[in-house]
Amino acid sequence: MNPQSQPSTPSYTINCRMTHEAAALERLCQVVRIRGFRIATMAVETAGEHLDIALTLEGTRPIAMLQSQLEKLHTVAEVALAAGSVARSRSA
Amino acid sequence: MNGAQHILDAFHRHNISTVFGYPGGCIMPLYDALVDDVGVEHVLCRHEQGCALAADGYARASGKLGVCIATSGPGATNLITGVANAHRDSIPMLVITGQVPSGLIGTDAFQETDVLGMTLGIVKHSYLIDDANSLPTIMEEAIELAQSGRPGPVWIDIPKDLLLSEAADAPFPQPEARETASTDLTEALAMLRAARKPLLYTGGGISLAHAEDSFRAFAESSALPAVVTLKGIGNPGKHNPYNLGMLGMHGSRAANKAVDECDLLLVIGARLDDRATGKLDGFAPNARMIHIDADAAEINKLRGADLAIRGDLNEILKSLADALQAEPLAISDWQKQCRTWHTTGGFHAADNDDPMAPITGPAFIRQLSRIAPDDTVIACDVGQHQMWVAQHYEFDHPRHHLTSGGLGTMGFGLPAAIGAQFADRNSTVINVTGDGSFMMNAQELATIRRYNLPVKLIVMDNQCLGMVRQQQELFYNNRESQINLDDNPDFVAMARAFDIPALHIERTDQIRRGIETILAYNGPMLLHVAISREENVWPIVKPGASNTDMIDETARTAKASKEQVA
Ligand SMILES: Cc1ncc(C[n+]2csc(CCOP(=O)(O)OP(=O)(O)O)c2C)c(N)n1
Repeated sequence: MNPQSQPSTPSYTINCRMTHEAAALERLCQVVRIRGFRIATMAVETAGEHLDIALTLEGTRPIAMLQSQLEKLHTVAEVALAAGSVARSRSA
Repeated sequence: MNGAQHILDAFHRHNISTVFGYPGGCIMPLYDALVDDVGVEHVLCRHEQGCALAADGYARASGKLGVCIATSGPGATNLITGVANAHRDSIPMLVITGQVPSGLIGTDAFQETDVLGMTLGIVKHSYLIDDANSLPTIMEEAIELAQSGRPGPVWIDIPKDLLLSEAADAPFPQPEARETASTDLTEALAMLRAARKPLLYTGGGISLAHAEDSFRAFAESSALPAVVTLKGIGNPGKHNPYNLGMLGMHGSRAANKAVDECDLLLVIGARLDDRATGKLDGFAPNARMIHIDADAAEINKLRGADLAIRGDLNEILKSLADALQAEPLAISDWQKQCRTWHTTGGFHAADNDDPMAPITGPAFIRQLSRIAPDDTVIACDVGQHQMWVAQHYEFDHPRHHLTSGGLGTMGFGLPAAIGAQFADRNSTVINVTGDGSFMMNAQELATIRRYNLPVKLIVMDNQCLGMVRQQQELFYNNRESQINLDDNPDFVAMARAFDIPALHIERTDQIRRGIETILAYNGPMLLHVAISREENVWPIVKPGASNTDMIDETARTAKASKEQVA
């Protein structure tokens, strides 16, 4: 993409619920990275058997692509894109 | 029962009768349990990569789950290429590795590696067992998961102490009914009927969904011109008059032309991989697209679909076939046009009339295709020979063509052929390989001998890494770099050292007898085929270019004459 017409990287907030298993967070982070996003903030809370993870992500690829890849993970129960989360982060 | 016995119990419950593995320290309790087991045949390969690729070949040829087993540390790391191969081609696989005892994890113990961490990117899912009582349930879940939806490898890493501990039986709930599609077949049919130049584009998803028969019925009742990806070869059947063959980087001019001209692309069970589409901007520029797939994440991944249908391919194809049978499409001009392209721009390698002429790759594969029995399974390796098989061998079923599509793993062919032969002891299985690829898993000749598998091996020896040489010639100004293999071992003598008879041929008039001899031999046999070092695969699209910019042999001749002038 042309950096001049795209001066800043879009940023998204995603909330994700997944089973609390051995490699849960690594699995999540690996998919985020390989599908072209950068984690800006990450908050994790344990909720019984689950982990609730709130992520702020930056990336120029379509977020729907990441969302569907995260949903494919066997231990991911839910992925929600926070409404109106598409903001521009600082200039790339 | 201890953990190891629970694993075997799960194998029995799921009719898993063949597994491929290699023992070692941390997996010994499972090997000990195997001693008393009568239901499972354990195949000992000679390298864990061979085990994983054999399990992959077994799964591809049979449509069943492939299972491989290894020890911790180097056993597990040796599996990785084979598991990645299965992951990229969505092959159902169960991987079981021993791990160091629970208390030693994280202490840099002997043969400890972080298998779970290391394999995250190449599995559909993975487990590190931390409680023996969870093992029975996890085995169930893993076996179901590996085969459902988009299939793939599921890896279970089990500390040695948990293989030995007693574990309680678990209730085995029936897997939940799978989600069915929210289909919109009426709209798909309307789009098909509105199109003047509709084209069918299918990939490996057809056989992954076990939808070969319903696809064949649909292709016949729709009479749609059809192109296939490398993994979709065989889907339309060799007698389908509208089968244009493979598209993409080494596809036919006819297939790429049809994609370029079509006004509706019906994509079924395919990912729109870059080797198939070429530069996406130039791909099917005039077409609307219907994308039918079992995997939601593939829809709109690379190119937006005008209509997306997710769900069970068998059901969808049956409904579409019924509708089109009742009221066929009126596309005779387009069908005629595609057949003309196929005649002028399909793969039609001529036989060489000169009996003394050196053997060429395409002519050899054509002969093989004519002589080998119809249900022959060809397990390819990776390189030029793989493309000649894809272009010139006429497959009538997708499970007859085993090829490493997504990962392009040299060394795939020999172990995959072993797996395929275990899937059906009576079928004819041929590994077509190159001199480079053959050496990547040549140790598995010992496996062929040990189990007396009648696998036929055809080594197409151009004394170099041909596919790399070709790209260096065409795209790197002919600056050859590290592709020379003219010091290969004597492959005939090498086969014989494994007690496998072998034959060498080099002239056109020897092709037929060579092929007939190995096919008639009652056991494994190797045919060493000397071919020219300079031969290329034509046509070719430069990586990253559009499929309409195909280069063929004239490019090389033009370049050679320019060089002569200079
Ligand atoms: C494991 C692995 N290493 C490297 C490559 C890159 N590669 C692709 S084709 C090829 C050459 C294959 O040579 P050979 O098996 O002799 O087949 P040919 O192209 O000569 O028919 C190489 C090195 C690969 N695909 N896989």
